[in-house]
Amino acid sequence: MSDARFVNQKAVGSPVLPDEAIPLVEGDGRFLNDIRLPGMYHVAFLRSQHAHALIRSVDTAKARELTGVVMVLTGKELLGKVEPFRSMPNRFSGGESVQHWLAFDKVRFCGEAVCAVVAEDRATAEDAAELIEVDYEPLPVVTDPRLGGQDGAALVHDTCPNNYLIKREYERGNVDEAFRNAHLVVKRKFKIGRKQALCLESRGCVAGYRESTFGLTMWISHQLPYVVRHYLANHLHLPENDIRVVVPHTGGGFGQKASIYPEEFVCAYLALNLRRAVKWVEDRLENMVASTHARDQSIEVAVAVDRDGRILALSSDVCVDVGAYSTYLWSAGMEPLQTAGLMPGPYKVPAMRYRTCGVATNKTPVGPYRAVGRPSASASLELLLDEVARRLDLDPVELRARNLIPIEAMPYRNANNLVHDNVNYLPCLKLAATKAQYDRLRAEQRERGANGKLRGIGIACYAELTGLGTSTAVGPGTLLQPGRDAVTLRLETTGVLSIAAALPSQGQRIMTAMRQVACDELGIALDDITCVNNDTAMAPYGFGTFASRTAVFGSGAVIQAAKELRRRMLALGAHLLNVPVGELTIVNSVLQTIDRAKTLPIREMAEKSYFSAKNIPPELNPGFEVTSFYDPKFGSFAGGTHIAVVDVDAHTGEVSIVRYVAAEDVGTIINPAVVEGQIIGGIAQGIGEALLEELVYDETGQPRTVTLADYLVPSALEVPRIELHHANTSSAALGGFKGCGEGSIIGALGAVACAVADALSRRGGDIHDFPATPERVLKGLGVLPSDA
Amino acid sequence: MPREQNIRLNVNGRVYERTVPVRLSLADFLRDHLHLTGTHLGCEHGVCGACTISMNGRSARSCLTLAVQADGAEIVTIEGLRAADGSRHPLQQAFLENFGLQCGYCTPGMLITAIELLRENPQPSEQDVREALSGNICRCTGYQAIVDSVLAVARDTQGSKKREIV
Repeated sequence: MSDARFVNQKAVGSPVLPDEAIPLVEGDGRFLNDIRLPGMYHVAFLRSQHAHALIRSVDTAKARELTGVVMVLTGKELLGKVEPFRSMPNRFSGGESVQHWLAFDKVRFCGEAVCAVVAEDRATAEDAAELIEVDYEPLPVVTDPRLGGQDGAALVHDTCPNNYLIKREYERGNVDEAFRNAHLVVKRKFKIGRKQALCLESRGCVAGYRESTFGLTMWISHQLPYVVRHYLANHLHLPENDIRVVVPHTGGGFGQKASIYPEEFVCAYLALNLRRAVKWVEDRLENMVASTHARDQSIEVAVAVDRDGRILALSSDVCVDVGAYSTYLWSAGMEPLQTAGLMPGPYKVPAMRYRTCGVATNKTPVGPYRAVGRPSASASLELLLDEVARRLDLDPVELRARNLIPIEAMPYRNANNLVHDNVNYLPCLKLAATKAQYDRLRAEQRERGANGKLRGIGIACYAELTGLGTSTAVGPGTLLQPGRDAVTLRLETTGVLSIAAALPSQGQRIMTAMRQVACDELGIALDDITCVNNDTAMAPYGFGTFASRTAVFGSGAVIQAAKELRRRMLALGAHLLNVPVGELTIVNSVLQTIDRAKTLPIREMAEKSYFSAKNIPPELNPGFEVTSFYDPKFGSFAGGTHIAVVDVDAHTGEVSIVRYVAAEDVGTIINPAVVEGQIIGGIAQGIGEALLEELVYDETGQPRTVTLADYLVPSALEVPRIELHHANTSSAALGGFKGCGEGSIIGALGAVACAVADALSRRGGDIHDFPATPERVLKGLGVLPSDA
Repeated sequence: MPREQNIRLNVNGRVYERTVPVRLSLADFLRDHLHLTGTHLGCEHGVCGACTISMNGRSARSCLTLAVQADGAEIVTIEGLRAADGSRHPLQQAFLENFGLQCGYCTPGMLITAIELLRENPQPSEQDVREALSGNICRCTGYQAIVDSVLAVARDTQGSKKREIV
């Protein structure tokens, strides 16, 4: 069924229906929590209720006595047996943080794991955890990063002076001169709250033990199976080839499942020590405090422009509340370094300067979440550009058009040292404005204004660096430089093709994408191609799924491997058919001469190759399994323009989005329906960032948003119908592909934030703190007194 | 109060009789005792809607319902949506064809909720669909493809009145 509509077309570019979704619509998915092994025990964690406290003593006696309890593990018992998580060295590190899998001397955030309870079922494990008595001595709490960075502030880590986990200053070009000579200088503050990726399926693992090959098998809800394997080996002192990591169906990742966390590693330790499988599935209350948070930034940005509104220089000061520990493996630098470093986005910025820091606080650590840093970088600059436009009496679209990097100027090296190679920033702006009928939108806005209604229009142009090869760092300043991933293509004995790669999907239909690419490259029918992408025992090495890279890497590696596999198939086919190689092609799983006079199904060729090898010259039968590593070297910029139209209720502060138009350049598209799903899904999350989502802590470090009733994500009513248009260019990567998983969340935050600010400006109001909750909107209108 | 209780109920057309702890949720009963893992748990406090099942013809949050409350009930889960001949329910097919899912975690709840809507209102407007699904969180799709899947079934049902919604 999957390819029936596209027999005579290229598979790449067609909305091929994904076979991989069938089990999910039929209720046959196998998610982590669906795995049950015989004799499996269940794990629950006792978590700290204090934000910052010394642990005086832990009494587990009552818990151990409960019927059904197998074991209670404390942090002390792990000391010396496993390696704690020491913050990744980063060139810009301020100080070090060490995270023990189970806190033993000190807890540093509410929700930090203190004990693990193993029992015959989860309910008993939770009952037992409640019987553990921990004697805490509360310590002074750091909750405000601005105060936490001052001399004399309480320290989250003794090894981290002034609580700076990350600090960097950067300057390129003559910023001071540009500001001195500018026609206009505008400054602006921007704040974005703490976020949660909020995967609908929380984290979890089943750690299995057996006394043979793969002594430890980890089924884990994660984006990076090989990375998990590497760190399990390091931290548990195990040989890496004795560990197998399998990723089942995964209910969302968004970066939250790309870090290394203590709980899964504790489970691995327990399975090895109990010689029994153990399972832990994070419940939602745990997820809200134990899985990484994101964003939480205060930004001050200033721009110097000439009389035409052209940017001369950019200067920014970024402060990120990164929580209690440097997120393991990515470091605390993720948000601080990328927010500041990527501030210029798609605009020509001849000179720039920034100061950025990540300050440790007694809150859940901040880790990667979709489009790390870029949404706040983009929104703070877009809001500033709107202010420039107002001051210069220029239209916001015109101001952006004057500053976007034109394709004729590419490759263009911006002041942040990134090269824009081939991307349609300006055509996207024009396309979005045309499709939205921008002039009419402004006319309608004026009409509504005359009738006392508040309408706002926001325009955001974004750039997203995707598919990063070895030459561009994903985690700036860290030792971690992923950028080479492999794919194995194997022609099976019946002539069907298996693709293996360690590039798990959380709904991006990676398997379908790789099948489409392989179909075109090899001439093998889509229905004859399957893919496994989740198992270190079956797939060649790969870093996994993050940073809008997977389609680029998987497809590129398929193209490379297919080139060699196709050469081998044609060589053997030519021999078997007794024709010159040059006259042979492969169509729909059949080798055929161009005139179709002679044909040989791939199935027959494969059977002969494996089962009748004695009749074939060995040099023509080297095996039909090819592994290829692909490194695109550099990344490719994707980009786009989003236009949001909002109505603001001046009495209630409610914001509703009445129109949303987006135009994107996401490279050559493999599967348009999948790509549009990624883009629209990202926009929905960006709308959540702009209007609804915020994790709140009180001054004692207690989290106040620990349920989905407190942390609001967009429902079908808050997300409008998205009008999507494309102005794609090809990237330099194999196949011309770019990543499309993250870009749209950047444009969405900027466009919606600008639309709200634009609406408020009609009454002389403004807004700097996001999400734009009703309360903040009313403050921005002066209806409620402001905080300042 | 007894710690355990005997229940008898019909799930997807099959009758089960079990002794269950009184504190066991219906979701855990379906998943852990009957091995019907198609029903997913997203929040366990009744907000996300992933665990929505049909109970006596009405959608219900199986995470907030106790197994003992389902004594005597008729339950339909995602595993019970297929026709007797094994073919997919029209809405399952529409989700597939309209790319109405990404990670698939919210899908069981979306399907059950949308089927209830289509039974009560076979020709819903887009706004009707969005209202009806507003208690089910999807973090991946931005809802558009889900809404389109439901509208596609409504259109098809209008075209050929024969197609039955559960």
